[in-house]
Amino acid sequence: MHSEEHSSSPPARRHISNVAVPLGIVAFCVWAFWLSTQFDRVPPILKRGMQPSDFPQLVIGLIIMLAVWLMFRDKSDAPTRLSKMAQMTMGLLIGFLLIAEVDLFLGLSLFSASLAALWGERRVWAIMLVGLISPIAVFFLFDGIFEVRFPRGLLTNFWYG
Amino acid sequence: MDAALNGLMALADPHLMVLIFAATLGGVLVGALPGLNATTGVALLLPFTITMDPVPAIAILTTIYCAATFAGAITAILINTPGTSASATTCLDGYPLAQRGEAGRALGMAAVSSTIGGIISVVCLMAAAPLMARAAYNFAPPEYFALTVFGLSMLATIGDGSPVKNILSGAFGVLLATVGIDLLTSIERFTFGMNELSEGIPFVPVMIGVFGISELLVQADNLHEERKQVIMKKIKLPSREDYKRVWKTILRSSGIGTFIGILPAEGATVASMIGYNEAKRWSKKPEEFGNGSLEGIAGSEAANNSATGGAMVPTLALGIPGSPTAAVILAGLMVHGLRPGPTMFTEQADFAFAIFWSMMFVNILFFFIGLWGAKIFARVTLIPIQILWPIVFIFSIVGAYALEQSMMDVWIAIGAGIVGFFMRRHGFSVVPMAIGLILGGMLETRLGQSMVMLDEKWWLMATRPLSLFFFVLTILALFGPMVWGRIFKQRSPLKSTGE
Repeated sequence: MHSEEHSSSPPARRHISNVAVPLGIVAFCVWAFWLSTQFDRVPPILKRGMQPSDFPQLVIGLIIMLAVWLMFRDKSDAPTRLSKMAQMTMGLLIGFLLIAEVDLFLGLSLFSASLAALWGERRVWAIMLVGLISPIAVFFLFDGIFEVRFPRGLLTNFWYG
Repeated sequence: MDAALNGLMALADPHLMVLIFAATLGGVLVGALPGLNATTGVALLLPFTITMDPVPAIAILTTIYCAATFAGAITAILINTPGTSASATTCLDGYPLAQRGEAGRALGMAAVSSTIGGIISVVCLMAAAPLMARAAYNFAPPEYFALTVFGLSMLATIGDGSPVKNILSGAFGVLLATVGIDLLTSIERFTFGMNELSEGIPFVPVMIGVFGISELLVQADNLHEERKQVIMKKIKLPSREDYKRVWKTILRSSGIGTFIGILPAEGATVASMIGYNEAKRWSKKPEEFGNGSLEGIAGSEAANNSATGGAMVPTLALGIPGSPTAAVILAGLMVHGLRPGPTMFTEQADFAFAIFWSMMFVNILFFFIGLWGAKIFARVTLIPIQILWPIVFIFSIVGAYALEQSMMDVWIAIGAGIVGFFMRRHGFSVVPMAIGLILGGMLETRLGQSMVMLDEKWWLMATRPLSLFFFVLTILALFGPMVWGRIFKQRSPLKSTGE
């Protein structure tokens, strides 16, 4: 039916990611399971139904089972190498998060302009549109109409005083 | 009956009509824009509805859902790129017709069949949702738990990915739903001492992240895709002869779409595929399919639009989303403090019917907007993604922040976006994760209540007829396709001839 069910077709070549991804999931689950053992417990006399760790542990167990199944049966193609553009876009996202701590709209403005430029936009008006006009318009839309109070920062302080 | 009339009266508000009109335009735009679809559109628009009353807020979300599902056909026909995955089968016949200079005829057929499919499904919604709610009124926690498990099991067949990966993704969503204070014991779990996480991982930033920001990263990989628009002279509505040929297909696909929509988690994409295949199977000219068959367009479009009404049936009546977009609408209902389920039709019946009528109205409205505006919307699809996606990003981030006005939600949206991107790269659909996150809380609460009710003897759930019925359905949903696939393979004549 699907990739891991093709037992009768010629054996597809297994890629390192077919094992690495499930292994990563199992490692995450082991960590999550350990965390769940640290939860406070309800004294037996007060317990009704389940302990707080029971349900997460049940789900973690299911995830581990499915990941182990994938480890041995998954024959899906490995993804193509992450393109440079995707890597740089992700880098910009991290940069945005750091600048957003100083000022959310400064981060949005710089990110949008940089993203447009990175993706090949060379027209100044277009970069100004996405990097300046759009963040300002969105700020006043949410601040004025939806009454959203944005976090104070380098630029927003000019408006909030 | 009173509720139906009251719901209709609620729509008479001119302010609401203007909002629905604007949302229809927005929805058609979202459906026509590359990379955006109904689910992303609803997730991005959800924060705009925070300050609104529930009726206009949810009416806007359902409007976007219906209009965007229709609009996918515009790009499918004119640029051979489905605006939404539900319109992928429309490309097969729509684009060949457009290449022959009959784009207008193809769009006309798409608009007519979408409208008819949508209206039929809303009529079914009006009839079926209250009935389903009445049937579910006496459900006890074990039945609800079994029903939720069944809903989650249906995630296995979402999209064209591996069922195991889909279930794993859904289970990951359920695990995420356990973050925060446990409702039964008031003990904190996975919060790492952060107050912001004590109420759990918020739905909206996660939705914005997995549907919006992950798509931005996907788009970064597809920058050099060229989109060429076919020239369209004018829209031409289908002729009487055309109607004679397709009316059965439209009715059949509307029925198929509504039924598929009602099934938990299955949405317009599956409906359009089945609708298209059935249209081909029943057609007198199956050889025309793939070369510009009007029946193909009608089969696909009537099915995908009728799935929207169908998907709202379990969403409103049971609180189990009928499609990925319905899952986001469900999150919207929760954000507005509404509790979907049987009580919605006793305590908030006016609200439910106002939503039904708004969906009916939208299905008529997008027929006219879609026909008259198709040329303009087709041009919108040519907006460079270098301009489109930075603007989408701004809306995503501000939307994620706006709900709780917390920077933590911005971090969650970006984190969910990056995780979602890598999940998609490795063949894990993000839709089950989102649905798992929404249903996870309900699943755990119902299990906990069932354990209390059954004196911690969980196996007694299987002795209750309705619970057992849902568990059997779950097993069928998980293993049925595999068994059927094997049986079909063994009987296939192709196998014996070695083809």
